[in-house]
Amino acid sequence: MDEKKDIYFKIFRFNPEADTKPFYDDFKISVEKGVTILRAINYIKDHVDSTLSYRFYCQAGICGSCSMRINGVSKLACTTQVWDELPNCKEVDVITIEPMNNFEIIRDMVVEYTPVISKLEKYISWVTPRIKQEDLGKKEHLIPEAEFKVYDAATDCILCGACYSECSMMTSSREYISPLALLKAFRMVKDSRDTRSQDRMKVLNEDHGMWDCTHCYRCVQACVKNIPIMDAIQGVRNEAFLRGMKNSEGYRHAYAFTQDIKSTGRLKESTIAVRTKGIFGSVSMLPFALKMMSRNRMPHFFVKTIPGIKYVKKIFQKLK
Amino acid sequence: MKYAYYISCINESLSMEADTSMNLWTKDLGIELVPLTSGTCCGGSNLDFTSPDQFLAVNGRNIALAEKMGLDMITSCNTCLLGLRHAKHILDTQPEKKEMVNEIIKEEGLEYTGKSEVKHLLWVLIDDYGLDKLAEKITNPLTEYKFAAFYGCHILRPSTLMGGHDDPYRPHTLEDLVRRLGGNVVEFESRNKCCGFHTLLVAEDESIKLSGSAIDEAISAGADFIVTPCPLCHMALDAYQKEALARVQSSGKMRILHLSQIVGLALGYSEKQLGLNKHVVV
Repeated sequence: MDEKKDIYFKIFRFNPEADTKPFYDDFKISVEKGVTILRAINYIKDHVDSTLSYRFYCQAGICGSCSMRINGVSKLACTTQVWDELPNCKEVDVITIEPMNNFEIIRDMVVEYTPVISKLEKYISWVTPRIKQEDLGKKEHLIPEAEFKVYDAATDCILCGACYSECSMMTSSREYISPLALLKAFRMVKDSRDTRSQDRMKVLNEDHGMWDCTHCYRCVQACVKNIPIMDAIQGVRNEAFLRGMKNSEGYRHAYAFTQDIKSTGRLKESTIAVRTKGIFGSVSMLPFALKMMSRNRMPHFFVKTIPGIKYVKKIFQKLK
Repeated sequence: MKYAYYISCINESLSMEADTSMNLWTKDLGIELVPLTSGTCCGGSNLDFTSPDQFLAVNGRNIALAEKMGLDMITSCNTCLLGLRHAKHILDTQPEKKEMVNEIIKEEGLEYTGKSEVKHLLWVLIDDYGLDKLAEKITNPLTEYKFAAFYGCHILRPSTLMGGHDDPYRPHTLEDLVRRLGGNVVEFESRNKCCGFHTLLVAEDESIKLSGSAIDEAISAGADFIVTPCPLCHMALDAYQKEALARVQSSGKMRILHLSQIVGLALGYSEKQLGLNKHVVV
């Protein structure tokens, strides 16, 4: 006989047109081992409460529609097994279902996805081909395998929004570019068929763009396709270095680290703010500096050079 | 027990109290740390994109210095941990990159083979020393205090580089340590969230909102201290605390302790010896 047990689903409910604030409904249903979260909530919608709202389509982890937070983590409902979630429950056999974070809620788990589309537009997330319009379909632009390998993983993105929902910077500012738009940007910037990388890089370099990622790796951890999103984010920044786009705090900050390692081996913390923000920009750092001074915590102005620095310098000479 | 100690830049300048504290009690526990004085900065999660190959060579060299001593490597900074383990992963899985690095560092008499492990101080206490043994050494159990455990990102994520130490969604090792030191742990949802340190200089407003939310939650949870295994998280949570709390329309005060300081307290060292007076929030 198949394994079967009673599972409680604690489901987020909110209809902004009718409810003053969100609440949770509890549903107890009998679930067999092997059933996905999506099938379980479909059962609730079909047999218990037809007003329960969420998106789904392919039911096979391809369309990216059914992303929601399951026991607090953004995932696809269609590829998540109920049984696999049981060890993650805060209360025994109670699975929490909530909408993704960082979105406006339309109803229950249905979120307003327009900001994602707007960001994909803003950062020119498509290929504008070299081949003339009239020759499209007649000529081919072949991609060498070595080039495709660079962005192969990035092409797996299904825009489910799990990274957008988990992103630390998105919780701070909805204006932030988001991991998924950075991933798409990387994929397009590295595509030799494309002609608009310069325009794209210019927008990426603006405020709320590529330099605002705080390297928390929540996007990488949550990606339902296991895409190394941080490699793509660092890849876009690497592109800024390759193109010599020096006019940003992000560039100058990273450049300062590189120079310090090359010259003494260690970071010269006393001047990192000035080198990142410029003299005028660093005025805002004065309260921080005073606080450190009040505790007698002063970074060394003269950093001791490490033994063996000549070998470190060779690394920088020999490798680009 | 003997390790090569990887010196993080912040711990030898702005946050010296973290290492001063560690050096007090590692001796008591019989843990010998040999400082890697020839080691360089790990790149602070910048060098990996300014030049991925230089990043590999610099950190391959750092680890090779430990290999030459025949020792595993310890760090007490999360970002150094990630940088070193990231480089190690690439060097261990891509032979052509290992060859590239070895070709350069052989002039210094170094070779990267992959035999030295890169560990965090927290992992060493738990896996190598053992909490049972540590508990026997306690002279001043932290029973009076409630702690909010703040892990910091780069000891948890990406989990593929962290050797299975903690589930990034449900970490427990830091709380395990606090409990074994006699301390109490508060429920703290921010424990696996980000402090915003890495963008403090380029997006301060957004960054302090992250640290502000965590501190605010710890205050609401009734914690006496936040404890963190990362000096960068410490800086974001302590030195920017006033501004961070104001940013999330909150106020109050939360003392932030380094991992090495809570161990020191439990082992009987005074607040002054452990440099608690060096913090901005005291």
